[in-house]
Amino acid sequence: MVTKEEIFSAVSTVIDPEVGFNLVEMGLIYDAEANEEGSAIVTMTLSTRACPLHQMIVQWVKEAVEKIEAISSCEVNLVWEPAWNITMADDNVKKALGG
Amino acid sequence: MFAISQDFAPPFKLIAPFFIIGVLFYVVTAVSGLALDASTMSYLDSAVLGWVHLFLLGFVMMVIFGAMAQLVPVVLEVGHFGVEFFYVIWPLLLVGTLMMAGGFFAAPALLPYGGTIVLISMMIFVLDIFLTLKKVEKFNFVMTTVVVANSFLFLGVIVGIILALGYAGQIDVDITALLNGHVYLVVGGYIMITIMGLSMILLPMFGLSHSFSWRPVEIALAVMSAGVIVVVFSSFTGFTSIAYLGYLLSIVSLFIYFYQIAILYKTRARKEHDIYAISLYFSFGSLIVSLLMGTLYLINGSEPLLLSAGWLMFTGFIGFLITGHLYKIVPFLVWFERFSPLVGKEKVPMLADMVPTKSANAQFIFTVIGVTLSAVGLLSSSDALFKGGISFLSIGSLFLLQSLMYMIRFR
Repeated sequence: MVTKEEIFSAVSTVIDPEVGFNLVEMGLIYDAEANEEGSAIVTMTLSTRACPLHQMIVQWVKEAVEKIEAISSCEVNLVWEPAWNITMADDNVKKALGG
Repeated sequence: MFAISQDFAPPFKLIAPFFIIGVLFYVVTAVSGLALDASTMSYLDSAVLGWVHLFLLGFVMMVIFGAMAQLVPVVLEVGHFGVEFFYVIWPLLLVGTLMMAGGFFAAPALLPYGGTIVLISMMIFVLDIFLTLKKVEKFNFVMTTVVVANSFLFLGVIVGIILALGYAGQIDVDITALLNGHVYLVVGGYIMITIMGLSMILLPMFGLSHSFSWRPVEIALAVMSAGVIVVVFSSFTGFTSIAYLGYLLSIVSLFIYFYQIAILYKTRARKEHDIYAISLYFSFGSLIVSLLMGTLYLINGSEPLLLSAGWLMFTGFIGFLITGHLYKIVPFLVWFERFSPLVGKEKVPMLADMVPTKSANAQFIFTVIGVTLSAVGLLSSSDALFKGGISFLSIGSLFLLQSLMYMIRFR
């Protein structure tokens, strides 16, 4: 069965073109799991509800996870609670954005 | 799952003309400043009115309409009623603005015709916005600003047509009295309230601001609306003394709005000093200086103070707010159209890679010097200083055009 870490690793190939960091290091991916049939669910958020790219980002996450050999389908659960904030990002992101 | 707004996003070819023509008008406006004389200038001079209309209609409204074509689906979370309307909005606004400028600078008889064409353009815009709003189920603050701002725009344009007819000598109206109402409806009621609403979407989005209060901007909206209504009432009824209450309310509103911006600044996660950030620093710095000068004007009535405050408000605050956002919005639109289909298939640029740093910085430096020198020239009624500033501003505007074309052609 595909692990959460493997799914996170796949999603880390998806980069937000505005900030230049991947979604995992931005702290936007809250959870991920896959069952034995190869169906995955990724629970994630976005840095803003008004993000004009959100349809695409969701699609990129789905495609990235479905590239894992043992995954046949992926569903993305986009949530707004808890709301994202910068403390959820990795230290390298905080440092780089801090100017 | 949250509704997917960009299903309704218009194609780039529809929005690009608004930005290209808007920036071309910015260049024309900068250069046409040479036709003004700071030593004898009055805000009712036809050349000043012509310049203001070129700047506000040709640059500010053109870019705002283009931005709204893209942002309305994002802000309202529903598709445009008729996005195809935008294919006729920019040609009408272009022709109408040129005719109005011709009317102010040379042939007043052109004014009602130009004004009517601008009116049609804006009515189509307002019609699309209101019919789009009908699809919205739950209103938030930003949606409310869209409703209020477009209602003021609707009234402001109608008053503008009456003014144009009066200016051309076709009807007898008190131009000075109606002018105040027109200016407040369009600048205070539409432009400022639109800026308030869009700021609350764009600034937190680009600055990654979180967990901030919206209360100040909600108060600012109410106070600005009250200010506009008071000035318009005064303008229509002739109770000129209460107009000062309206002026004061609008200044207070913008101070409160500035406080909201300070909150967003304090709670932002992104602290880079890129062209976007420094443009906003100068923009909001200009706003504060302009408001302080406007307050002084209410006390001493000095016209050079009013002209200089207005100059900083238009070219400093609104000008840099728009140019700064062009460095974010245009790369996004081009990237979305050209590079997003390639994600996962080949290496694609980041949005920041699409900004020409050198020409953007040159635009910033020349324009800051230009705006500041010209403001001092207006304040001191020194035409030499003013024209010196206009020269810098003109060079800055050419760098803006170069930056825009670089971003649009980026491959």
